Amino acid sequence: MHLRTPNNSEPLAIEVNDLRLTLGNVPILQGVNLKVPAGRLVALIGPNGAGKTTLLRCMLGLQRGFSGEVKLFGETQLQRALTRIGYVPQRLNLERTFILSVREFLCLRLPQTRSWFWHSHRRNDIALRGSLAEIGVESLLDRPLANLSGGELQRVLIAYSLLTNPDLLLLDEPTAGVDLPGEQTFYDLIGEIHKKRGITVMLVSHDLSMVYRHADWIYALNGVICCEGPPQTIMNADSLKQAYGIHVSPYGHHHDHHHH
Amino acid sequence: MAIITIITITDMFDEPFMQRALLAALCLGPLCAFLGVFVTARRMAFFSDTISHGALTGVALGLWWGFADPTIALIVVSLLVAGAIFWLKEKTDLLTDTIMALLLSGSVALGIIILSLLKRRPGDIQNYLFGDIFAIGWQEVGLGALLVIIVGAALFLTLNKISLITVHEDLAHVSAVPVRLMNLLFIVVLTLTVAVTIRLLGIILVTALVVIPPAAARNLSRTLRQQIVLSFAFGLIGALGGTALCYQLDLPCGPAIVMTCIAIFIASLLPRTAFRPRPV
Repeated sequence: MHLRTPNNSEPLAIEVNDLRLTLGNVPILQGVNLKVPAGRLVALIGPNGAGKTTLLRCMLGLQRGFSGEVKLFGETQLQRALTRIGYVPQRLNLERTFILSVREFLCLRLPQTRSWFWHSHRRNDIALRGSLAEIGVESLLDRPLANLSGGELQRVLIAYSLLTNPDLLLLDEPTAGVDLPGEQTFYDLIGEIHKKRGITVMLVSHDLSMVYRHADWIYALNGVICCEGPPQTIMNADSLKQAYGIHVSPYGHHHDHHHH
Repeated sequence: MAIITIITITDMFDEPFMQRALLAALCLGPLCAFLGVFVTARRMAFFSDTISHGALTGVALGLWWGFADPTIALIVVSLLVAGAIFWLKEKTDLLTDTIMALLLSGSVALGIIILSLLKRRPGDIQNYLFGDIFAIGWQEVGLGALLVIIVGAALFLTLNKISLITVHEDLAHVSAVPVRLMNLLFIVVLTLTVAVTIRLLGIILVTALVVIPPAAARNLSRTLRQQIVLSFAFGLIGALGGTALCYQLDLPCGPAIVMTCIAIFIASLLPRTAFRPRPV
């Protein structure tokens, strides 16, 4: 277990300094400071409306108009850092009416499969093989993306994000809409990828009861990072209860978080 | 009887206006259908309809300013309408389809007012509304050929980028796709293609060639590659077949092409019961 507090000598995968963003007079991020050492499996949690997705969008260069600084692997030019990042978006935002097979979707990511349209399935599959076995999506290759179940689509999105061997994996609400056994399998898979590849993984979720079991370190966001620490410590922190506005039990799976 | 039919079919190729019309159909049918795969997937069918209706104002302005051929005015106004959609989208909180409905009716109304002030008989604008086989000059054939070469090549070169943007814009951005630039280019290419195709199909019907072939292809496909190949083929058959029917049965050109496409679409529904894709 990594229970150390980050110190200055560790290389940082993510560094956010005094990030501020106001959207239409509503302050969303009010001076976020975040340091994630490389190689950790961390979770960014917070109630709905806390700015989690917005913070993630700032880190990926998708959000304009913020002040402050975002560094990924020491790089402030986020466009240049993108090659080292795997991003797993919220599944629900995927355009599911578009006909694209799993094979075609995965081929979009790799330079060697750039001409997939003209190549045979066999030729494309050889180029994809490495990452397919690891995630277990070989049997899904011929299926249309639109017909996958929530858990299957989740695995395909992770396979896609890992194709280019990223050093940092960012997952936005990865278990939204996945059933409980599926959720467990999913976290086991993430834990395995993290251990085997030694990459930095950040889970963004409002569902702290699940992530606390798997993350080394938790950052609680509510406009600012209101507390951070190892899961056992953070579950008892008063500031977390403040952030959620209610009592949080680490052992019950259901928690009543209020929507603001 | 059969001999007579064959003779009239070969007759078609001797008529210079039919040669031009068939060449234009050969270029524009597959091009519209190929673009249409992404237009339909990105829910932009109404966008295509809006820019084509905007062309009516272009036609009216072209005639007002005394252009013998209003093609250029038509293309310019279509591009302006496309620009107006994006400008209003940025500047207001209105939904995109509200903005498009506003611009569609507005530009049709403006076009009709200008035409009525010019004392044009309704028969004159009918050719623009429903397509006119005699209106296809070598300029339209040349534009069509140029578009199919440039746009076709560009579409294939950027196929991965466009596909990724269609699936998920943010994912495309993180995968180093220049999303805003690609979206802009897609709009420009679609606007040019629709504007040039208007002479063949007419303002009201041009969107059919962008929507129906990919829709029919979608019914029969399980992969993007299948949909692109089939859509391309259906666009070709629909445009060429419709143009030929227009000549053989003396029908207006646009409706003949649209009904050919509709026939293909109905046929595409038949095998669905045999190997129906699993419901989502």
